[in-house]
Amino acid sequence: MTQVGYIVAGYSVTFIVVAGYTFLLIRRLRAARRGTGGV
Amino acid sequence: MTSDKIGTAAGLLALPMLALGLFLGLIWAPPDAAMGDVQRLMYVHFPSWIATALGYLTAFVASVMYLVRRDIKWDHWAVAGAEIGVVFNVNGLITGSIWGRPTWGVWWTWDPRLTTTAIMLLTFVGYLVLRAFLDDPDRRARGAALVAIIGFINVPIVYFSVRWWRTLHQVQSSPNTVDPNMVVALRVMMVTFALIAVYLMTRRFRLAALEQESERIALAQEEQAGGV
Repeated sequence: MTQVGYIVAGYSVTFIVVAGYTFLLIRRLRAARRGTGGV
Repeated sequence: MTSDKIGTAAGLLALPMLALGLFLGLIWAPPDAAMGDVQRLMYVHFPSWIATALGYLTAFVASVMYLVRRDIKWDHWAVAGAEIGVVFNVNGLITGSIWGRPTWGVWWTWDPRLTTTAIMLLTFVGYLVLRAFLDDPDRRARGAALVAIIGFINVPIVYFSVRWWRTLHQVQSSPNTVDPNMVVALRVMMVTFALIAVYLMTRRFRLAALEQESERIALAQEEQAGGV
C-alpha cells in the first residue's frame, strides 16, 4: 500500500468509528426520549 | 439541562475546528523527515488518546463520586465516560496499527505500550459488559464503579510504559523538537477530539438518565401489576 493509502485508511476508520458511534448514540437517544415521553 | 447546552456548544465548535484541523494536518503541515506523509496519521491517532483519557478520567472521577455521594447521576457520567473512552480507544488502536505497518513493518506487536493499551480497552469493555449483566441499579452502579476505579490504575501505566520499559513505541515527542506547523495541527486536532468527546459524553449522560427513568417506570408498573 502507498503512503496515501495508509492515510486514507486511517482517516476513513476514524470517520467510520466516530461518526458511526455518534449516529447510533443519537438514534438510541431519540428512541429513549420517545420511550419515556421526553424526560 | 446545562450539560446538554455545554455539549451542544462543544459539538458546534468541534465542526469548524475539525475542518481547520484536517486542513492543517493533511495539507499545511510538512511531511515528516523520516516517516514521510504517513506521519499525518498522527493527527487522528494521538488526539484519539486525548479523547480516550478524557473519557476514562470522567469514568474514574464519576465512579469515585458515586461511591462517596451515592447519587445516581454520577453513575450516568461514569458510563458516559467509559463508553466514549472505549470508542476512542478502539480508534487509537486501529489508527496506530495502520501507522505501525509502514513504519515498524508490523500491524501489531506485543510491545509494552500496545499491550497495556489493549488491557486498558479490555478492562473498560468488561466494565460495559458487567453493567449489561446487572439488573439492580444500585448493585450495577457500585460494581461498575469499582471496575472503573481499578481499570483507571492502568491509564498512568499506559502513559509511562514508554519510559519505564524499552519499547518499540517512541516516547512522547517534545514540541521543541517538532516543526511548529506540525505542533499547531496536532494541537488543533487534540482540542477538536476533546470537544467531540465532551459532546458525546453529554449525550450519553442524557441517554443513561432516560434509560434509568425507563427502568423506574417499568419497575413501578411491575409492582402495580403484582399488587392488583
